[in-house]
Amino acid sequence: MAAQGRTTVRERASVAGRVVLAAGGGYGVAALATALLSLTLPMARSEAVATATLLSFAVMAGIVVLVFSTRTLLRALLTVGGAALVLGALLWLAMGGSRP
Amino acid sequence: MTPLVLAANLGLSFAALAALCLSLNRHHAEVFDRKAERAAVLRLRAFGWAAITLSLFVAGLWEGWAFGPVQWIGALTGAALGLVLLLSYRPRYVAPAALAALVAAALPLSILAVSA
Amino acid sequence: MKASFRQSMAWLHTWSGLIVGWVLFAIFVTGTASYYRPDISRWMRPEFTQVEPVDAAALGAAAERAVAHLGQHAAKARTWFIGLPQADKPVLDLFWRTRPGEPPGHVLLDPRTGAEAAVRDTQGGDFLYRFHFELHMPPLWGRWVVGLCAMIMLVALISGIVTHKRIFADFFTFRRDKAPRRSWLDAHNVTGVLALPFHLMITYTGIVTLATFYMPWGVTAAYKGNAQAFFSEASWITTPRPPANRPAALAPVGPMVERARAARPEPLERLMIVNPGDANATVVAVFEEPHGLSHEHPQIAFDGVSGEILEVRDGGLKPAAKTFTVMTGLHEGHFAGPLLRLLFFLCGLMGCAMVATGVVLWSLARLPKAGERPFLGLRLVQALNVGSIAGLPAAVAVYFLANRLLPLDLAGREQWEIRAFFGAWIVAALVPLARPQRRAWCEELAAVSVLCLAVVAADLLTIPDHPLRLGGGDPLFAWFDAAMLLLAALFALAARKMLRYEAPKRDRARGAKPAPVTAPAASPARPPARRPEPTHA
Repeated sequence: MAAQGRTTVRERASVAGRVVLAAGGGYGVAALATALLSLTLPMARSEAVATATLLSFAVMAGIVVLVFSTRTLLRALLTVGGAALVLGALLWLAMGGSRP
Repeated sequence: MTPLVLAANLGLSFAALAALCLSLNRHHAEVFDRKAERAAVLRLRAFGWAAITLSLFVAGLWEGWAFGPVQWIGALTGAALGLVLLLSYRPRYVAPAALAALVAAALPLSILAVSA
Repeated sequence: MKASFRQSMAWLHTWSGLIVGWVLFAIFVTGTASYYRPDISRWMRPEFTQVEPVDAAALGAAAERAVAHLGQHAAKARTWFIGLPQADKPVLDLFWRTRPGEPPGHVLLDPRTGAEAAVRDTQGGDFLYRFHFELHMPPLWGRWVVGLCAMIMLVALISGIVTHKRIFADFFTFRRDKAPRRSWLDAHNVTGVLALPFHLMITYTGIVTLATFYMPWGVTAAYKGNAQAFFSEASWITTPRPPANRPAALAPVGPMVERARAARPEPLERLMIVNPGDANATVVAVFEEPHGLSHEHPQIAFDGVSGEILEVRDGGLKPAAKTFTVMTGLHEGHFAGPLLRLLFFLCGLMGCAMVATGVVLWSLARLPKAGERPFLGLRLVQALNVGSIAGLPAAVAVYFLANRLLPLDLAGREQWEIRAFFGAWIVAALVPLARPQRRAWCEELAAVSVLCLAVVAADLLTIPDHPLRLGGGDPLFAWFDAAMLLLAALFALAARKMLRYEAPKRDRARGAKPAPVTAPAASPARPPARRPEPTHA
């Protein structure tokens, strides 16, 4: 943000964008990671789900911190989006390669 | 049993945190009107950390290693709050209070040690 | 986003903290109060002190009376919950859900007769407890709002830790005699840092307590959405049995209660009857949690028709499942004895103070200098600060007061107590809009103090067997009143401090009045538009 002067519409939009990305992207990545880990962790099914769910909130908090500390909104978007894509692809594979 | 252990935890925590607090120049000056010498700083810190560790072991040995750490942290927090308030309102009382806390912890500690 | 990581985290901390600060304060206050939920509930049902606790041998008969009542009034419900009489709550606590969208059924029965217990209609401490995670909203909405606030709190904690430059050097620092922003910042730092292990623990464990609600995707992926199967495999519940859709009479539960009691040393807490009247009816006897951090209830499942034991669930949790229950256990703090519970309560109060000082700090940092106009909304923020930080305690005090003063036979008494709570809160939120800032704080803090005293007075006047009147009676009333007196003193002290704060501030403003007509362009702290002054050292 500019050191002096009013915040511009552009700056407000940038902040709004980060908020949406942090909330939506954070939850989305955490959800994908939870589903993926639940299916792939090498432990009993209930243990995998429990472990994945316990960790999911730390993942979400981490994404939020990441989104607000990345230099530009675009870079944050690419990072979070990229993570989501990778996790989504792995999840798709883990679920047998085709939706039931 | 638990009240004794908790009393020991609180007393040790208060004395330990007071020592660590006084090892910082800013607070040493508030309480004693002079800066701390290097030797005193080292002694205070050594004592402080030792007392905190002792508090953990006392809690763990008598309350088990599930409850012990929880009680240890709770006592540290309570003691810390008391110390900060005392330091803010009556800084001159901090050193005597720390000694009193240490003495107050010694009694339950000796009872626990004897009954072990 | 800012020049450095630390600055970004400072920005994140300020804004995330403010947006949820007021709700978070309410969550912290009701949560802290919930450490004493059973005591509050018992205080709000003083008739219990007149009732003899039920003998363990009579539990079976009591349970059968409960089942008879439920058979009459809750025949359509799929699950019946029967809370068995306990030492501090000597009644049958019946609960059932009728249809989604309809309020659940709830009644307290006398365990000796099966008739409705002669106890005043009140939600007791359960109102504050449920408010803590549902905000008295429809459960779905309420839990999401609280969950969102909790996640943001977690982010605020992390960013706060990153931002706090001298976390060790400033550990004990609390400078009361400096400028307001300095003192309030110190207070915020101290209450935050001294109890940091507690704050981190309580926030994360709070989210985990409702984890499968917020993050069900693991269950969706690995269990095709069948949460009951997950709970059962994790050994948290007995294996659920679907209804057979053939009617069959429920066997008498008395013998089941006797067998359950004989099987385990822990006291029996409640019965859960699933699919009553069906061939696959199940009666689950739930026992009190054994002494430990983990929030686990041993359970015995009986076949509802034959009375045979189907399954005993006790321990044997694997590591991740155990971590879950330990986290829930840490959050609820049931394991804590009276002294440790007091320490937890103290930590909770520090959490309330941390949120309150943070919220006040935000508006302190944005106060206009002499001659400048305040930004739009500052007035609203300041009024809401008073309304939430002083208003909520006032509402709780009014809730207690209503419990003592409302007529016992008032229809819908339970709801009226709750209306009193919200009514007081709304008044407390609106009045500061019409009062100057400092006066509003003084008046409301003083009002809370007076209300706490009023609660004590109402207690002494309306409870015939109050210890201070008789010399005998249940000591609970004395302890509760002592706590209220202490709170009254604290709020009175706070009001007095607020009052005395006025003078120095006015002097400084008066001294600075002859300000230069030309704005000091060199001063970075006074740009043409209102920029918040840095609150972080």
